[in-house]
Amino acid sequence: MRYKSQSVAYWYFAVAMVLFGLQLVFGLLSAAKYLGPDPLLYILPFDVTKMIHTNLLIVWVLTGFMGATYWLIPDESRTELHSVKLAYVQLVLWTLMGVATIFGYFFRYGTGNKLLEQPLPSKIVIVICMLIFLYNIGMTIKKAGRFTTTEGVLVLGLVSSAVLFFPALLEYGNYTVSIFYRWWTIHLWVEGVWMMILGGFLAYLLIRLSGADREVMEKWLYVIVGLVFLAGIIGTAHHYYWVGVPYYWLPIGGFFSALEPLAIVGMAMYAYGAMRRSGLSHPNVLALHWTLGCAIFTLFGAGLLGLAHTWPSINKWTHGTLITAMHGHAAFYGAYAMIVLAMITYALPSLTHPRENDSNVIGYWSFWLQLAGMFGMTLSFATAGIGQVYLERIMGMGYLDAQLKIQIHFIMLIASATLFTAGVGLFIFDFFRRRPRFEVEESGS
Amino acid sequence: MTNRQGRLFAIGSTAVAAILFLVMTLDSHRQFPELTNAENITPEVTHGKDVWHKYNCINCHTLFGEGAYYAPDLTKIAKHRGDPYLHAYMRDPSKFYNEQKHRRLMPKQDLSEKEIKDLVTFLGWVSEVDNQGWPPRPILVTGGMTTPTTMGGEGEITDADAASVTPVDSGSDPRALGEQLFSTAVPTCKACHSLTPGADGAGPSLGGLVTRTKKLLESGDYQGEATDVESYLHESIVSPSAHVVPGDMYSAGSTSFMPASYADSLSEKEIDQLVAFLATLK
Repeated sequence: MRYKSQSVAYWYFAVAMVLFGLQLVFGLLSAAKYLGPDPLLYILPFDVTKMIHTNLLIVWVLTGFMGATYWLIPDESRTELHSVKLAYVQLVLWTLMGVATIFGYFFRYGTGNKLLEQPLPSKIVIVICMLIFLYNIGMTIKKAGRFTTTEGVLVLGLVSSAVLFFPALLEYGNYTVSIFYRWWTIHLWVEGVWMMILGGFLAYLLIRLSGADREVMEKWLYVIVGLVFLAGIIGTAHHYYWVGVPYYWLPIGGFFSALEPLAIVGMAMYAYGAMRRSGLSHPNVLALHWTLGCAIFTLFGAGLLGLAHTWPSINKWTHGTLITAMHGHAAFYGAYAMIVLAMITYALPSLTHPRENDSNVIGYWSFWLQLAGMFGMTLSFATAGIGQVYLERIMGMGYLDAQLKIQIHFIMLIASATLFTAGVGLFIFDFFRRRPRFEVEESGS
Repeated sequence: MTNRQGRLFAIGSTAVAAILFLVMTLDSHRQFPELTNAENITPEVTHGKDVWHKYNCINCHTLFGEGAYYAPDLTKIAKHRGDPYLHAYMRDPSKFYNEQKHRRLMPKQDLSEKEIKDLVTFLGWVSEVDNQGWPPRPILVTGGMTTPTTMGGEGEITDADAASVTPVDSGSDPRALGEQLFSTAVPTCKACHSLTPGADGAGPSLGGLVTRTKKLLESGDYQGEATDVESYLHESIVSPSAHVVPGDMYSAGSTSFMPASYADSLSEKEIDQLVAFLATLK
């Protein structure tokens, strides 16, 4: 750690870790309900556990983004943060909002609009937190007078995320129009501006870990961002299939969605190329694992599995089945969970006191258990989804009967999710067993 | 390529994509009223949409295929189930499905009668939205696969679709025409009735229909006006409540949940064809 104020990142990461752990509890509960029967039917029904599962994901990933940004900006701009106090105020406000919102969900206090279930007061606090965050980052950069391309891409991604949250605050009388604008937030976040954030973090990690030439890395970062938006913006169309929009969104969605993996392939090549040239010499090899792993798993989950059901003539059959859950889990984990875990793994040695006889054995177990677990979960959803599509959509078997026929895949899902949870448990344990330290150390990272 | 060229590519492609996207958004707004029958969005439909949100329906079900995957898609449910059925179902789902059998059950939601009515109206509006013919085949809640080889569409089947699976023309045997009607009538019969004995769906199985009907007519429990199997079948299509099959999942207050619309939507000749087909189900 070169700058004292970078230590705020520790507390953001700590909150993210706790919420990540909680997310899995609700994920496992939801998975168990697929097997059924459900003893909690009238206490904690599926809709509540699933809503908490997805919302905790969004909150902890965003907490991780913020923490990682507070870590990265001083490093890139070579200065202390504008206000450490403001960063803590933001974290407290954000965490309280998150906890209160989740608590409200137990009583179904929410909007009932998928992924944007946060009630209006929570949404307003989210906007306030984003503004504090962007102000703090902006003032830090302004003070330093040094603004790198990497942080430029990151900050632009964060600003656009805040801007794109606004359509989520509005209500629409026409359900189809409401769907139309819901995706302006969700899709343009996940397949647009969050990709920019991912690209920013990835470039930072690659430059630091591999010592790759900044000029070259940043040039390619531009190309990746260009590809992300070229395909990603109009790629929103793949969410417009079958919801009551004009016909032309189908072929256009098919074409541009098929282009979306290009940027992701670019990202993976970019990471691999940087690593090969540098010879993997950085001492934090575990962070290298997470960084490369992120690029590769994104290619698999977001790129390949997204492409698998994005063409309209295929999506016609797979739309609204467990095939979507297959893609969703692998894509979100590969792209966003893994980049946050990479940033944490990279920053952690400088944020905590080293332990005696320290080794990264737990870290590696965590990495491989998570990867194996998530791969298994993805395959479980995929096989369940393929079964569902054939039985229910093509053969015409009733939904409930088809679900009974794919029970074995839900058992597989729970088994692999348990493996995944063990991996995440180890990561969280590894995080908290080290004492945080807040003094500056030149030789740090 | 220089850094500057890279930046120009990023800005240029973003701008082009954004402009194209905004133009299509504007054009979509021009078409939304027609595609979604916006003139039919009454205050009841809007309230029904609010009920849909209030009870967090989307975190188990899907609508237009969007939502969670834990419960059936409801995009066309209003075309598969009549209003009385949906009303009774919403009052207490456990009367219709058994958690031990399907390992899943919708918890009772305690909606007010007004909420139920508007929710069903909203689902009716949803089922009419022009969504490019999705789903390509009906998504059923239970049953299915036990019907004849015919496979109809979402309930809005074109003649070409129907002809491609069961080639019949006006000169075909009335029983063949009836078999085709079984899956092409709106709402389609097979959404609720299977042809396998014992495999009851939202309606009773029609397997062994003729044998059961003969027994019923002889037993004295029959309350309608039919005198033989054919007239019983005819009556059950045009006036489903004349005699109801016992069970909370089939009727309430001696009103059958089966849509009473077939007397109007099918011609007399078509009803005869359907009867001819059903009379083959010994």
